[in-house]
Amino acid sequence: MYGFTAISTHNGWAMAIAGALIVFAGLLILATAISQLHKILMLLEKKHPDSKSNQNIPENDDPENQEDKPVSPLPKEFPTDLNEIACLYKPLIDETGDTFYLSDLYEIARKNDFPHPHITFTAFRESEILVPCGDGVFSWNPPTENEDNVNG
Amino acid sequence: MDLLFQFLSNTGYYLADYRNVIMIVVGSVFLYLGTAKKYEPLLLVPIGFGILVGNIPFFKGFGLGIYENNSVLHYLYFGVTTGLYPSIVFLGLGAMTDFSSLLARPSLMLLGAAAQMGIFFTLLGALALGFLPKEAASIAIIGGADGPTSIFLTAKLAPHLIGPIAIAAYSYMALIPVIQPPIMRLLTSRKERLIRMPELRDVSKKERIIFPAVGVILCCFLAPASIPLLGTFFFGNFLKECGVADRLAQTARTSIIDTATILLGLTVGASTQGDVFLTPKSVAIFLLGAVAFSIATASGVIFAKIMNLFLKEKINPLLGAAGVSAVPGSAREVHLVGQSEDPENFLLMHAMACNSSGVIGSAICAGILWSFMIVL
Repeated sequence: MYGFTAISTHNGWAMAIAGALIVFAGLLILATAISQLHKILMLLEKKHPDSKSNQNIPENDDPENQEDKPVSPLPKEFPTDLNEIACLYKPLIDETGDTFYLSDLYEIARKNDFPHPHITFTAFRESEILVPCGDGVFSWNPPTENEDNVNG
Repeated sequence: MDLLFQFLSNTGYYLADYRNVIMIVVGSVFLYLGTAKKYEPLLLVPIGFGILVGNIPFFKGFGLGIYENNSVLHYLYFGVTTGLYPSIVFLGLGAMTDFSSLLARPSLMLLGAAAQMGIFFTLLGALALGFLPKEAASIAIIGGADGPTSIFLTAKLAPHLIGPIAIAAYSYMALIPVIQPPIMRLLTSRKERLIRMPELRDVSKKERIIFPAVGVILCCFLAPASIPLLGTFFFGNFLKECGVADRLAQTARTSIIDTATILLGLTVGASTQGDVFLTPKSVAIFLLGAVAFSIATASGVIFAKIMNLFLKEKINPLLGAAGVSAVPGSAREVHLVGQSEDPENFLLMHAMACNSSGVIGSAICAGILWSFMIVL
């Protein structure tokens, strides 16, 4: 049996339509539930301001984090030139020390609302502004020094 | 002399037939694509080598072949036919997945649902081509672009089709960079591809911990047949996020998933013995698989465009293509197509949201199809 006859005989139309509707409904319910999740959590935290768990949620509003930010105020229009971006990162590097783990720098960059730190790090690594020292530790090689090295 | 002739008549050179040779060529192509082209090497290399192993001709009755009851390969294949390996792969996948972007923008989950339409269109196509309902459902799930899910459902509904369906599913997953970009470009204008997505909000740790528990309850209550996949998937994610079982999460996303992937790939590859694999049905499955995957990609993109008719803040319709559950291949492809138009456009995180919802969506579809077939 082939064609539309086979589809009708095996109840194919009903299975396809019902299946599509069920999967849509399932994911819609899940999406709705998780879209309300942070609001529910905020409500619960407002009801129990002294609760211990209140201290770590959400990360950006964590009072302990407030003193960390902002290390450097960001310009309204974030530059696209890598050297200019490196200058903005300098205060963050001063905070981490001469050598640091990339994850630490990432965390500080994120707390300071630097856009796309992971992509910036890749560009820094490619242009040897971030220099690997082994064991996941990196050092900072500012662009000007970088050029000096290249020029001799 | 007789002993020598007897030995020679038992060698692969003597027993080989053209179907083994064809499959060995196919296996070699898989190995080439995996190693030289780096198309999904973690999948194509074990499968490709498995095809070579499975197609070495041997004397039947020695307990060597994957379909012979007392062979080593048969014991390893047990994990495929029972659906064990796919469940374990999902555990590792859950322990790897970061749902932050999905939690930050839950509406993108609808794109994961839309991309599952490929499954249901293909179900109709397979029935129209004369496949039985259980076979049709197993073929249709290829549209989810999820190898483990395809193997799981086929093992339950049509175990005789595991080889071709698994090979088709993994082949199309590996060929994402070839299949998806032309469809994305065909269905979107340049203006649409240039749409930038806003930065995602920060997601708290509490949300990330609660999500797998909410997810498993809502999804598995709806489609209990997806428990073997979604149960382990969300469990793996809970291990990752809860923060008190890092060792378990680390093992799940490294050693455990790697072991399951090796055994799954090798045995699925070995199951493609030329004499049982090269049939007209396999060719039809490959064609339907391509249709399923293309429709899935197109459905996601078209649904994103439909969403844009109602949204004030437009979404980039390329994201719809990441609604298939090929993680992270399709998300990466969406990002690359977006960047080819505008190098400053970063779609990766948003695409990962669609991609992870695609994984959930295709597992729910597998559960739904399995439930439908139980009553047949």
